[in-house]
Amino acid sequence: MAAPRVERLEHGGYFKYALLLPAVIWVFAFTFLPLLSVIRFSFSSYVMGEGITGFVGFQNYVDVLTSGEFWQSILVTVVYVVVAVPIELVLGFLAAWLVNLGAPGSKTFRTIIGSPLFTLEVAIGYLGVTFFTDQGGLIAVPLSALGIHVPWMSTAYGGIAGAILLDIWRWTSFIFIIVLAGLAGISSELYDAAVLDAKNHWQVMWHLAIPLAWPVITIALLLRTVECLKTFAIPFALTSGGPGTSTQTFSAMDYLTTIQFFDFGKGSAMGIVFLILVSVVIAIFFQQMRKRLA
Amino acid sequence: MINILWTRAGFWSRVLVYTLLIAAAIFTLIPFVWAAINSVKTLMETFQLGAFIPFLQFEPTLDSWREVLSDPQTSTAFINSCVISAGTTIFALILGVPAAYSLARYEFRIGSSDITLWFLSQRVLPPAVVLVPFYLLLVYLHLIDTWTGLILCYSTFNLAFVVVIMRDIFRDVSTEIEDAAKVEGATPWQIFRMIALPLSLDGLVVSSVLVFAFSWNEALFASALTSQAATPFSALVLASRSTRGVDFNTAAVNTLIGIIPPVIFYLFVQRYLARGLSFGAVKG
Amino acid sequence: MTNRYDDKKFGDVVRGYVRGAISRRQFIVRGAQLGLSAAVLAKLTQPSRAAANLIDSDPASPFESPITSERVAFLKTKPYKGTTINVMVLKATVGDGLKYHVPHWEEATGGKVNVAEVPIETLHTQIFSDLSSGLGKYDAYMTGAWFYGDFFVPKDPYIVSVEKFISDPKHSYWDPDQWLPAMRKLYSWDEKVYGVLFDGDAQALYYRKDIFGKKGIQDKFKAKFNYDLPAPPKTTKEYHDVADFFTGWDWNGDGQNDWGISLHAKVNEQGFFHFLTLSAPFVVSPDNKYYFFNPDTMKPLINSEGHVRALEDYVKFLANGPKEEIAWTLGQGWNLFLDGHSATEPTWGDLPTLAQDPKTSKVQGKIGAAPLPGTTEAFNPITGQWKKYDLNQVGNTNGGSWHCVISRLSKKQEATYDFLSFMANRKNALFNCTTGWTGVQPGMKFEYIPPMGTGKVSDWTGANPPWNEDDVVEYLKAYYAVLAAPLQQEYLRIPGAAEYWHDLDINVSAVLAGQMQPKAALDATAAAWEKVTERYGRDKQKALYKASFE
Repeated sequence: MAAPRVERLEHGGYFKYALLLPAVIWVFAFTFLPLLSVIRFSFSSYVMGEGITGFVGFQNYVDVLTSGEFWQSILVTVVYVVVAVPIELVLGFLAAWLVNLGAPGSKTFRTIIGSPLFTLEVAIGYLGVTFFTDQGGLIAVPLSALGIHVPWMSTAYGGIAGAILLDIWRWTSFIFIIVLAGLAGISSELYDAAVLDAKNHWQVMWHLAIPLAWPVITIALLLRTVECLKTFAIPFALTSGGPGTSTQTFSAMDYLTTIQFFDFGKGSAMGIVFLILVSVVIAIFFQQMRKRLA
Repeated sequence: MINILWTRAGFWSRVLVYTLLIAAAIFTLIPFVWAAINSVKTLMETFQLGAFIPFLQFEPTLDSWREVLSDPQTSTAFINSCVISAGTTIFALILGVPAAYSLARYEFRIGSSDITLWFLSQRVLPPAVVLVPFYLLLVYLHLIDTWTGLILCYSTFNLAFVVVIMRDIFRDVSTEIEDAAKVEGATPWQIFRMIALPLSLDGLVVSSVLVFAFSWNEALFASALTSQAATPFSALVLASRSTRGVDFNTAAVNTLIGIIPPVIFYLFVQRYLARGLSFGAVKG
Repeated sequence: MTNRYDDKKFGDVVRGYVRGAISRRQFIVRGAQLGLSAAVLAKLTQPSRAAANLIDSDPASPFESPITSERVAFLKTKPYKGTTINVMVLKATVGDGLKYHVPHWEEATGGKVNVAEVPIETLHTQIFSDLSSGLGKYDAYMTGAWFYGDFFVPKDPYIVSVEKFISDPKHSYWDPDQWLPAMRKLYSWDEKVYGVLFDGDAQALYYRKDIFGKKGIQDKFKAKFNYDLPAPPKTTKEYHDVADFFTGWDWNGDGQNDWGISLHAKVNEQGFFHFLTLSAPFVVSPDNKYYFFNPDTMKPLINSEGHVRALEDYVKFLANGPKEEIAWTLGQGWNLFLDGHSATEPTWGDLPTLAQDPKTSKVQGKIGAAPLPGTTEAFNPITGQWKKYDLNQVGNTNGGSWHCVISRLSKKQEATYDFLSFMANRKNALFNCTTGWTGVQPGMKFEYIPPMGTGKVSDWTGANPPWNEDDVVEYLKAYYAVLAAPLQQEYLRIPGAAEYWHDLDINVSAVLAGQMQPKAALDATAAAWEKVTERYGRDKQKALYKASFE
C-alpha cells in the first residue's frame, strides 16, 4: 500500500527549464568548475609559495592508494558510518513515531528531541572530552565506579566508540525531524482504516506507516549517510584522530593534507578517490531504493 | 493532530509511550545540563574527580560566562551567523525549490533521478578539497571575509538538500488538484506557486530548518574563508582551542548559547507544521 | 686609523661586532680608543641606533619607556592619523596580549589597528592563503617561529626585514642586541631581523620544591634508590627514578594517589614538543648540532640509534602519569601540576606563570625550576658513533615564540612597524612577560634579573597578579639557563616544518599507545619526511635548512 506517486511525467515545455536552470547553472558554476580545478591539482605537484611545480601524472593517486594511512582512515570512516547511521535511523524513527502519536505534550517533546541538530558539532566534540575523561568525566567516572573501565580517550576503539556516541546524540535528531515530517503527512483516514484491520500497534507501524513513509526514510538515510561519510568535527574535536592516526576519519586526513600542509596535489587526489568510492555506494543505494519503491 | 492510535491506546500503552518519550528527552537533555555544569566550573574543577553538583561539590563561578559574553566578538559572530544562515536558507530555497518541482513533475531526457543524483553528488565531495578552489574563487570575486562569500558557498552545498527533499515532497503531492487547476486555465507558474507550494509547506519547513542548522554548524569553510568581519559563531567556537589547549569551560558556554538562535528559528517555523495543511491532506 | 697596526685592530673590532661577539657598547668604546670619530661610529652603529638621545620617559608619551627625543617629537604630530593597519593574530593568550596595547598605540599615534583573531587551528592556513593568493589583506601576521621557512619559499620572500625601521629613531625604541642569541635566531633569517620582539618560548623542568625539600620524602627516596633525592634531577636516569618514585602514592596528603610527571600527548596538539625536548641530549652534543637532517644530503636523522633510544626512554615516562595523558591537551597537562598532583613537569614558562593565580593554582611559591636533564652518552647521527660525556645538557627554544612579521604586500609597512615596535618597547615588553594571561615569555636581557640581565624582581612581583618572589627567581634562572645554554637544540624552520612535525607527532603517539615499536615508528617518520622533502625539492630544502642555521 504505497503512496500514489506521480508516475507519468509531463513534457513541460520551456517552463521546466526555467525552473531548473538557475539551480543547475549555479551548481555548475560553483561546484563543477571548482571540481575541474581539483582534478587539475590531483595530477600536479603543488608547493605553497610556488604554486603548481609540475604535472606528475598519476603519482598522487598511486601515493594515496598505496598509503596505509589512507586506507586506515577509510576503514575508520566506514566503521563509524556502519555503526552510527543504522542506530540513528532506528532511534530517530522510533522517536518520530512516538511523537507523531500526538499525545499531550508532544510539541514539547518534538522541540527537545529535535534540539541536538542545532548544536555545534565542534562544541559537542569538546564537551565529549569532559564526558569521557577519567578525570571527572560524567560517563567515565560513574562507569568505573561500577567496575567498568573503558579507555575512552587512550585507545582507538574507545575514541571511536566515544565519537559514535556523540554522533548518535547529535544526529538522531536529523533523522527524527525528516521522518516526523513524513509520518505527519500520512492522513488520519488511512490510520482509521488500518486500525480496524490490524491486531496491534506494531502492525500499523509495519504495514502502514513504514511503507508510506519509506520515501522519506530513504531520503533521510541517504542524506545522513552522505554527511556521515564526511564526518569531521566531532571525532576530530574529541580525539584529533589519535592515538597515532587510529581514529582519523577520511575528512580529517584530507583536511590536514590539503588545508594544513597545502599539499593540494595529494589532497585533491584523495578527494577524487573518495568521491568515486562514495558515488558508487550512492548509485547502488539509489538503485536498490528505486527497486524497493517500484 | 492526535493520532487514532493514541486515542485508542490503553493505560499501560500510554504509560509506555510516555516512559519512552521521557527517556528520549532525558538522553537529549543530559549533555545540555552537563554543559551548564561545566560552564560554571574552573578548568581545574572540570578535570577533578567528583565535581558533579554545583554548590555541593564545587563553588560555581560565572567567569566563563563573563568572558564569553563580554567579548565583543561573540555578538559580532552571532549576528554574522544569523545573517549567513538566514541568507543561505532563503537563497537555497529560492534556487532549489523550483528545481525540485521541475524534477518532480517534468520529464527530462537524462532522467530526473540522475539529475537529482548529480545535485546530491555536490554534497559528496569532501569539503577540504573544494575549499581550495572556493578560496581562490572568492579571492577573485573579492568576497573573502564577507557574508556574501559564505552565503554563496553554503547555498551551493545546501542546494542538494533542498532539491532532494523537496523533489520527494512534490512527488507526494497528488496531481489531481493541479490537473483541475489546469482545466481552469491556470498557468504552470500559477499552479506551482498557488497550489504546489502551499501544499508542500511541511517540506519547506523541514528543508529550511535543515539548511539553517547546517549553515549554523559549518565551521571548516567558515574558519578558512573569513578572518574577522564575517566570522560566524561556529568558527569562534573552534577557536576555543588556543596555545594553551582547549578551554573547555568557554566551550561549554558556547555550546549553550550557540543553540539559541537556531532553536528560535525552529520554533518559529514549526508553527507552520501545526497548521495541519500537510501534504497528507491530498495524499492517499 | 693612523697606521696598519690600528687598521688590523680596527678590523678585529668590527668583525667582532658584526658577528655579535662584542656588543655595540664595547664596540663604541673600543672604536673610540682607536681614535675613531663619533660621527663615523654613529654611522657604523646605525642598525642599533646610538643611545645618546634616549631618555627614560617623557610625560607626553606615557606608554613608552625608554623613549628617544625624536620619538617624542614624532608622536606630537599624531603621525598615523587616518591610517588603519590590519593585523592577524592568534586568538586568545598572545593575541589578547597584543590587543591590550592597541588602544594605547592608537592614542599615542592617532592610527587605528584592526585586529583579526584566528584560532591556532587555522592561523597558518589563513596567513599563507592571504599571502599566496596575493590578497594581502593584512599588514602583519602573528607567526609561530616554525612558519619562517614557509615565508621564504618564493624568491621574493613574503615578509620584509625590519632592520631599516629599527635604525630610525622616530619609531619606538627597542634594541635587538638585548636578545639572548638563541632567541634572536628565531626572529631572524639569514642574519637579518624580520620579527619584532614579542614572545620567547623554551621548555624547562618545573618541580615541587616544597615536596622535594621534605626530610621524610628525601629519606624514603634514599632508602629506595640508594642516593640522595636530586633536586632537580640532572640526568634522564635520575629523572626516571624521581618520576617513578613519586608515582602511585599520596605524597601531598590529600587522599588521592599522585604522579611523578605530567605530560600531554594528544596528536595535532603540542605534545610532540615534549619528545623533541627530552630527546635532544640523546643526539645533540658538543660534537653534533644536527637533530633533524643531515645538512649535506637532507636525509632524515630522526630514525638514528640516538633518536630510537630517546623514544624508548620517553615512553617509560608515560607510566609515571595518568594513562589518559596520551589524549590530553596542554591545559590538562598543566592542570595536573597546578592542582598539586604531579611532582614534575617539563614544559613552557606558562606553567609558573599560571601558578601565580590562586584561582587556577595550588602551587604558588612551591615551584622549583631547572634546565631539563641531560644524558651521559649521546649518539652522533652524522658519524654514527656513541660517545660518553660527563653531563650532556641541551638548551632549547621549542615552542611558538609568537611574534609579528610584516607582509611584503603591505602598503603601510612603516605604520605597521611602528605599532609592533611599540609593543617591543621595554615598558610594554615587560608588561607582556610579567602578566600571566598574555602567554608571553621573556627572551630579552632587560626582562631578566641580575646577574643574567638588567631587570628588577619588582618588575615581576609588582605585576598583576603579582609573582611570588621565590617562584620568579627560580623561573628566570632556569629559563635563562635554557635559552643561554652554549649547546642548543636546533629549531626546525624549513618550509613544511608543520608537516614534518606532524609526521613525527602521529608516529610518536602510536608508540605511546602501544600501536607501534619505537624503531618502526621513527623509520616511518623518516620515510614520510623524505616524501615531504621530495615535494618541496631536496636542493631547495637543503639550502633553506642551511640558511635557517645562520
